[in-house]
Amino acid sequence: MATLQDPLELSAPATSRGTLAHMRATLRRNWLHVLLLPLLALWASPLVWIVVTSLKTRVEVFDPNAGFLPAIAQWSNYPAAMAVAPFGTYLVNSVLVTGGILICELVTITLAAYAFARLSFPGKNILFTLFLLQIMFPIYATFLTNFVTVRELGILNSLPALIVPFVASGYGTFMLRQAFRQVPTELADAARLDGCGHLGILWHVYLPLVKPTLVAFSIIAVVTHWNDYMWPLLVTNSESVRTLPIGLGLLAKSDSGADWTRLMAATVVVVSPLLLFFVIFQRRFVDSFMHAGLK
Amino acid sequence: MSVNSTFSHISRRGVLVGGAAAAVAGLSGGRAFASDKVKLQFMYPVGVSGDINRLVTAMISQFNAAHEKIEVEAIYAGSYDNTEQKVITALGVGDPPATWLPINSALQTFLGLDALADITAKAKADDIYQDFLPGFLETCISDGKLYGLPFQPSTPVLYLNKDALKAAGITKAPVTWTELLDVAKALTIRENGELKRWGLTIGGGWHDWIFECYCRQNALVPWTKDKVLFDKPEAVDALEFWVKMVQAGVMPPASTWEGSANDFMAGRTAMLYHSTGSLTNLRKSSPFEVDVAFMPKNKTFGACQGGGPIMIARKQTDAQIEASWTFARWMTSTQVQSQWSRDTGYLAVRKSAWETPEMKAYLEKVPQARVALEQAAYAGAFLQVPGYHKVREYLKSALDRTLAGSVKPDVALKEAADNSNREIQRLLRRRS
Amino acid sequence: MVTGPALRAHVREAGLAYLLLAPSLVFLAAFTYWPIIRSVWFSFHDVMLGSDKIFFLGLENYQRLWTDALFWKSLANTAFYTLVTIPSAIACALLLAVALDSKLRGMTFYRSAFFYPVMIPSVAAGMVWVFLYAPGYGPINHALALFGLPKLEWLYDSNTAMIAIIIMSIWKYSGYFMLILLAALQMIPSDLHEAARLDGVSAWNRLIHITIPLISPTLYFVIIIGLLHSYQIFDYVYVMTQGGPADATNVLTFYIYQNGFQYQDIGYASTLANVLLLFVGGLITLVALVFGRRVHYLGR
Repeated sequence: MATLQDPLELSAPATSRGTLAHMRATLRRNWLHVLLLPLLALWASPLVWIVVTSLKTRVEVFDPNAGFLPAIAQWSNYPAAMAVAPFGTYLVNSVLVTGGILICELVTITLAAYAFARLSFPGKNILFTLFLLQIMFPIYATFLTNFVTVRELGILNSLPALIVPFVASGYGTFMLRQAFRQVPTELADAARLDGCGHLGILWHVYLPLVKPTLVAFSIIAVVTHWNDYMWPLLVTNSESVRTLPIGLGLLAKSDSGADWTRLMAATVVVVSPLLLFFVIFQRRFVDSFMHAGLK
Repeated sequence: MSVNSTFSHISRRGVLVGGAAAAVAGLSGGRAFASDKVKLQFMYPVGVSGDINRLVTAMISQFNAAHEKIEVEAIYAGSYDNTEQKVITALGVGDPPATWLPINSALQTFLGLDALADITAKAKADDIYQDFLPGFLETCISDGKLYGLPFQPSTPVLYLNKDALKAAGITKAPVTWTELLDVAKALTIRENGELKRWGLTIGGGWHDWIFECYCRQNALVPWTKDKVLFDKPEAVDALEFWVKMVQAGVMPPASTWEGSANDFMAGRTAMLYHSTGSLTNLRKSSPFEVDVAFMPKNKTFGACQGGGPIMIARKQTDAQIEASWTFARWMTSTQVQSQWSRDTGYLAVRKSAWETPEMKAYLEKVPQARVALEQAAYAGAFLQVPGYHKVREYLKSALDRTLAGSVKPDVALKEAADNSNREIQRLLRRRS
Repeated sequence: MVTGPALRAHVREAGLAYLLLAPSLVFLAAFTYWPIIRSVWFSFHDVMLGSDKIFFLGLENYQRLWTDALFWKSLANTAFYTLVTIPSAIACALLLAVALDSKLRGMTFYRSAFFYPVMIPSVAAGMVWVFLYAPGYGPINHALALFGLPKLEWLYDSNTAMIAIIIMSIWKYSGYFMLILLAALQMIPSDLHEAARLDGVSAWNRLIHITIPLISPTLYFVIIIGLLHSYQIFDYVYVMTQGGPADATNVLTFYIYQNGFQYQDIGYASTLANVLLLFVGGLITLVALVFGRRVHYLGR
């Protein structure tokens, strides 16, 4: 959370070197900030509220006479939130499941997207539509049949049960196919002349060039499956194979009103690894930006 | 659903995905065998947010330690709805948990699936019929047979913002509907035509539950086990009273369950109908003193039960049913109930639990808890009809549309009753 | 006419293609196509969750759907939600992506700030917005009052509840689309822009005539995905309103969930899902016909 709340990064003066170009650049930059900052304030306010609430006492949350900030920061909300369930185990499971899904998906979508983008074969359009069926069909309508399948496979109440329905991704295949088709054909042709086969071209030419898309897909896949709730709840029983959102459900899903302070503390804990992951990975954008310029 | 009949299809497909299964099988832990212990699963929801998971886990390990022949595994299954879905899905594949904790309204649903063990004989041989509060026990009885032991009952009650009452010069909680309207008027605050505080809010999302209480206050139980009676004059009269409160500008036409609890804590409404299960949360989170009162009466006092009993699966061996019974019996024993009630704010189900010294001390400290207990004397089961989920939706929609002013109470309730009864008939035909 | 060696090359290419598709197809078959096939079968039967009795109904479920007012209402709600949310969120996302497509200072911060809503688990996000929308003390109404606008009841009013969910969805999904568009922008060769700038092309014209055509494949993707996702909206309805008040926020996926899991009516839920699938399939085909042809790919 620290990176998000650090105002220093924002206000850090751009290193001006006095030239006209740089001054103009500085101006342009600040103009953008003027435009973006109000929007940012709008977007970030729910997060500010989450963090502030996670540090309040229960009484302060809705008391109209209490200030916006807690009188005394209640850091104890965090350990108290973590005590409702074995969050350590949940965290490890979330990492394993999300990581497992991501790796499987990256493999399947890369192969499939290449076939759709660059190979010609009979039934291509029909097959592509079949891939899209996965995103069109409401996921809740698959749960029952998939529950039976997972049980037949003997993996009910285990981590693989949380992974297998998401190994193939029509979504990712579509996304990557679009990116592959953006790669200028001449690059592939040149590689072929150098004696590269299809897989070689895929590995050496296409994948490096679509890195931003791969990164974007990874971020989206991780964020999506990190927050899966209904499916894990249905197919797991033991604490040892459950994931973070189920822990969060303990604080939120009830008929007595939410446990606001601890729910918000747990939310911060659940979201933090994702935010860290995002900050690290989106920097890769800038790297691949330079690579892409090689054309 | 008939999963059994399709197993052959699945197995064939199983070959197809067999490779995948083999690849991941290494990760899935096998089940422990070789033990003469009877193993039981217990699926439970979290009705009160917070520490329930920890409390239940502690109770289970205490039970397991005391019973060397039985091992219970507690499985948190989400909300009441989630729990019901998880149990029913497992029932569909013939693999239900040994025991579970649904909302009491689900009784007919599970009976329709022929899923429940009849525990009347066991209960009669025990002190269940003597020591359990009759209103609570009634929620588990169908056709004179007992299908579960009440574990965490709740009812709606009227919460009052004591500071607001004091400021308005009101010294006692309203006892009748007429008084309720008067008090709500006195507590409503408007400044320059803009509303600052409602006199009363009826928690949305479960307002059909509270509506049944209003029907019961008009001496009508708005259902029998095979039909609903929402179109009776008593029910129409109750809804007309709600409309009157909305038109008097003392009550919002709609709210949400979460939102209404927040509204009360934030002083947006001075009185609130909500579950007794919310007592601890509201008491600890409100910046003012919270009082609890009976829901006001009209012809009579009346309330209906939320919360849930522990139910036992029918399709298991006698040894398993016996062990399940031992477990359910232990969970509803005097000491356990006394502790559970004090930890959560749910009502203890046994008379003897209320007589324990710890409970008496607690009631000294939190006299509000006694109100719910006393009101429970007037409480019956909530909407125990087949397909209660859908019936609830029909009723809620009728209430919402009436309060929003788009339809007349009698028309809306007639429509809801007709739709509900058609659905109930469909399910009953299906069952026979 | 394809002859010997060329034919062999074709066959080999096709073979390779099927091989590359095989891993995906195996899992799609198991966890997507099989449920869809079952769903079609269920829809002709009276199937009850948890019960092993099944009755053949023929087309009865489909007839029932035709006269089911709530189905049509949920369809209308879904369409309204989609038509408002998707254009707004994508427009918002496109502007954000263009603004944030630079190596300037603070970009990590901005991107995180616009993307984080996607990360907040829906159950927590829903709860937070229940508070933000609170009629009296909620910050949104305070803000409206500051601008002299009337306070609204938001989730408590069947006229505004859906709009409240839409606003929240724009907050939640703009960052999502922004990220995908940002990735596409990053892949545009920088010299193109530079050349146009030196030629004196204005920023607006560069956006319309260079940037948008160049990212059109991704834009196309985002529109389709947006449509598909918005049809799957479920979480917020579930957490915030449960479809109410007066069914004002009951959307198709929520209705499917209600029928299948709450009412145990698997047959009817499957019927709804199948109709939704047909409907969405038709819509996607339409979008493909309208936009698909305008998409400009750099590759072959």
